[in-house]
Amino acid sequence: MIKVAQISKSYQRKLVLDNISLEVPKGQIFGLLGPNGAGKTTLIRMLNQMLSPDAGQIYFEDQLLNEKHLQQIGYLPEERGLYKTMEVRAHLLFLAQLRGLSKQEASRHVDHWLVHFEIQDWKNKRIAALSKGMAQKVQFIAALVHQPKLLILDEPLSGFDPLNVELIMNEIKALKEKGTTIILSTHNMKSVDEICDHAALLHQGQLLALDSVIKLRQAHAKGRIFVRFKGNMLSFANALWTDFTLLEQKESTEGVFECILQLRGTSTVNDLMRSLQAQVAVEHLELLLPSMQEIFIDLITQKDKQHD
Amino acid sequence: MTKFLLLTKRELTERLSQKGFWYMLVLGPLVLLLSLFAILKAADQGKQELKVLIADPGQIMGHRLMAQEEKNVHYYFLDDYLEIKEFDKAKAYQEFDVLVELNEKVLNNKKCFVFYRDQLSPDIRIQLKFQVEKRMEELIAAQHSSLTEAAFRQIKQGFIFDFRDIKDPKNEAKEANAWAGFVIGSFILFFVGLYGMTIFRATVREKSNRIVEVLLASIRPEQLMLSKIVGIGMVALLQLLGWALILTLGLLFLQQTVFLDIFDPSNWGQATPQRLNPLSSLVFEQLNLSFLFIHFLLFFIASFLFYGALFAVLGARSGADADGQQFLLPLIFLVAFGIFAGIYAVYYPNTTLSAVLSYLPFSSPVLAFITLAKGASIVDYTTILLSLLVLLACALILLKLAGRWYKQSILKF
Repeated sequence: MIKVAQISKSYQRKLVLDNISLEVPKGQIFGLLGPNGAGKTTLIRMLNQMLSPDAGQIYFEDQLLNEKHLQQIGYLPEERGLYKTMEVRAHLLFLAQLRGLSKQEASRHVDHWLVHFEIQDWKNKRIAALSKGMAQKVQFIAALVHQPKLLILDEPLSGFDPLNVELIMNEIKALKEKGTTIILSTHNMKSVDEICDHAALLHQGQLLALDSVIKLRQAHAKGRIFVRFKGNMLSFANALWTDFTLLEQKESTEGVFECILQLRGTSTVNDLMRSLQAQVAVEHLELLLPSMQEIFIDLITQKDKQHD
Repeated sequence: MTKFLLLTKRELTERLSQKGFWYMLVLGPLVLLLSLFAILKAADQGKQELKVLIADPGQIMGHRLMAQEEKNVHYYFLDDYLEIKEFDKAKAYQEFDVLVELNEKVLNNKKCFVFYRDQLSPDIRIQLKFQVEKRMEELIAAQHSSLTEAAFRQIKQGFIFDFRDIKDPKNEAKEANAWAGFVIGSFILFFVGLYGMTIFRATVREKSNRIVEVLLASIRPEQLMLSKIVGIGMVALLQLLGWALILTLGLLFLQQTVFLDIFDPSNWGQATPQRLNPLSSLVFEQLNLSFLFIHFLLFFIASFLFYGALFAVLGARSGADADGQQFLLPLIFLVAFGIFAGIYAVYYPNTTLSAVLSYLPFSSPVLAFITLAKGASIVDYTTILLSLLVLLACALILLKLAGRWYKQSILKF
């Protein structure tokens, strides 16, 4: 859907994006991650053609990105605003028409989304009269009212209460089901774990990681294993010998224990299974994958240490 | 183009939906009309209710005035001396506004004192002098000669040395007209400044509430800037047309009602060969208002594009309203410069500096109207058209440059 090829951008001699290349697969949710100042907003602005790269190209469906494509892109910026004096429906119509819809189309789409988000009763109210959450909904509608092929969401969950976070998350999933490609820039790593198919991690203008979320988690797995067994804890501990370290343990019910182990040296999960088989009755065994939050922190910390 | 129109329409409708626009539309010209009315009334002696007491102990005037009495200036005679203190304090004299003191020797020393309670307008002073002087002349003519009054006045009439500029032998370049042109030209700068601030504030607001980020995902920054200038410019123009309409109707109303007598020759009176109120005459007759209005529109549009681009760029560069106030100062100085240049040109219209200022975009609107109000010759008019073209060209160049500056600044938070 989107191909970013060797993009670089500087502001006043400061390199903000350094030779970034990535691809956003069609119909998937792509997490664009990174700490503040990583260059995410600059990249997003380039995708929206607000900024031009100093070097490199961006392709939209194999065509060099141009003004024509803007109608197929929806954008919810992190710092988003609305005209406070405009009425909700009029504002949405205005933004939909700016995105290239005819007045009739815009009217139809706006009414649909107002009903969908249950804010039709507020359509003639001024934006200034809305609560923050309500205004966020209007902004979210504004981003997708023209049914874009690519939806760029920059911190879409910030400012929402938990109920509305759930609502927006479900909406993002539903849009993906309908074939919309979504770029999600967020600091909410839980949402990345939950809904992103792919992710890229930017730090100080450089790409630190790029892959599918599951591969990233597998690649950064630290050999921690969760085991639930029935039996004697002492026998279990003896079976671990020197190849595994017991990190945590607790008795969940009588005679049933839950433990977290760390693989050591060249030992594998199969080695563990073999060691335990004769000693305890294993009910559940699972290789623990790191969360995106852990990967994020690890990679950034490592990079900063290298830099120092 | 559709997006540009959409944004322009939004700017226009937003401002038209604001109460402030409508208040300003009605109250602005009403305040102006009231001010004009007050100025005209103050300058018009015929409208001031005055009671003048002429203390004439020698009964020289014989209770007679030469000319027909003005409607609102009433003369009363006292055949006795009257002390100033008594006139000031005594209850019986409180109803009188003015005391004209004629002593018995007045025909010889030709001097009389006029005491007033409140300052008298120049026209009232002229009128008082006229009434007394003409009666004195009548008496002197009768006392010392067998001449008729007309012959006496002809003899008395001094030579008039009318100094005129060789370049303006018909004396068309009247200073009062020049000042009127200055006011009209300054009015352009006033409106441009007023609505330029609106452009500035709208840009700052869009930037600070971050709607600009949403907008720029659909349109180019240059388009956004131009749509703002054009949209707000149209609001300004609408307001201006509203003002022009209300002012025209108001002036017509004043002409037909309040200031009726000064347009009616039968009300002029034989003794007053010219209308007594030059300001009324200037406003209602000497200025070609429709001609000036067309030029007003042209200069207004060009000036608005020119200054509008500057205001938009300053708005884009400033981070917040308070920050922006400092950015505005240089622009306010530029507007003030245009006005000062106009004052200079009224006093020194034929200097090289005035010629240069008439082409400078910051001052040309004011200078053009000074020339237009005086009645421009063909040469002058060519200069004015040329200055309009220079202003337009500068506006277009500035819009192009401002578009780039705006683009560079608008996304820097």
